Amino acid sequence: MTALVAGLAFVVALLAVLVIGLLRSHADILRALHDLGVGLDPSDAPGANTGPGPVPVPSPVVKTTAGVPEPRQGDAPGAVPTITGTTPDGGTAVVAISPRPHATLIAFLTTGCTTCAGFWQAFAGRVTLPGADTRLVIVTKGHEHESPAAVARLAPKGVMTLQSSDAWADFVVPGSPYFVLVDGPTGRIVGEGAAASWEQVSGLLDRAVADGALPLTGTDGAPRESVVRSAARREAEVDDALLRAGIGPGHPSLYPGAGDEP
Amino acid sequence: MNRDGPMIRIENHGLAADLPDGWDGQIFVRSGPEGATMPVLQAASFALPAEGGDFGGGAVEQMGDYDVFVALCEYGSDSVNTPLFSSSTLGGLSPDDFHTQALQRPLPPQCGTQQFVTIAGRAFCLYVVLGNHRLREHLVPAAEGVVATITVAPR
Repeated sequence: MTALVAGLAFVVALLAVLVIGLLRSHADILRALHDLGVGLDPSDAPGANTGPGPVPVPSPVVKTTAGVPEPRQGDAPGAVPTITGTTPDGGTAVVAISPRPHATLIAFLTTGCTTCAGFWQAFAGRVTLPGADTRLVIVTKGHEHESPAAVARLAPKGVMTLQSSDAWADFVVPGSPYFVLVDGPTGRIVGEGAAASWEQVSGLLDRAVADGALPLTGTDGAPRESVVRSAARREAEVDDALLRAGIGPGHPSLYPGAGDEP
Repeated sequence: MNRDGPMIRIENHGLAADLPDGWDGQIFVRSGPEGATMPVLQAASFALPAEGGDFGGGAVEQMGDYDVFVALCEYGSDSVNTPLFSSSTLGGLSPDDFHTQALQRPLPPQCGTQQFVTIAGRAFCLYVVLGNHRLREHLVPAAEGVVATITVAPR
């Protein structure tokens, strides 16, 4: 009986030593993980460790086609800034992005980029912007980087075009062409990225609409789709409509008596 | 341009104004008599089109009930201090100044007002449009808030 008790006591002591060893080893492992900045508590916020900091996880390498910038690194702007700049005709403009009842697509382009050339051409014709009354604004860098004359030659009539290096900095634009889509009522950037063609940008917008980030109807509830047409295209369409109605050049109805001043 | 603080100051061609958050603004020039350049300042609580008339043609058609449009257009030197432009006070708008017929083109329920002034030796017409005549008590302060910040430098 005594031998049995002694034997059991020995086994218990042995197990205790084993458990203590395991616990110490576990503690060493936890300490090592803590020193590496790896938290095991799901409630731990990033950066809450007092150790050396999180182990940086390399961002996935993004490969883009030639002429298309990689996605920007770093934080998006907080509140969407108002864009201020100069217009191709030498004027000054302030363009508010939010609060607005409509979305705004900001196209950051340059005059020398071959990929941008496709967009300048597309915007001079006719492009359809999904969403209710989405506004298109083109922004190049300022006079110190871009020739005002070159911008004036490319700026599509009827499309707000500004030169503003500040806007490029405010929106942290990595390169051109680059697009930022902003929801007007909330000022939230609902989509951004680089693209090699208008079809790719259109896909970005379509995804934003599908995700519910852009309303498809106007304030009256009717389906809306904003169409950006150059002034030349609009003029041609108006001419066609007038001719179909029998109103040609010189028709008296084309020369109203009222002037332009109020 | 001064981009500090919630107001944004726009200035060019000797004209300047402070725009509240969410307002668009433009200052451009139009051709005047004998090749003179006549600056135009526009401010709006809504998106201004890239190309529009001096007095808001192409823009006022987009106005909603709660929108405000302000335009300050310079006239030639031959208008300076003429009887029509004899006033030197810009602004001081009140709801009673606004009428539905005082518009370049009637667009119910909009209303508008005009002031002809000479400031800093330059003649101007101030044209203000409110989106809804019934809301003028609410909208006039917003318009006056911009008009009161307009400054004009001599040529």
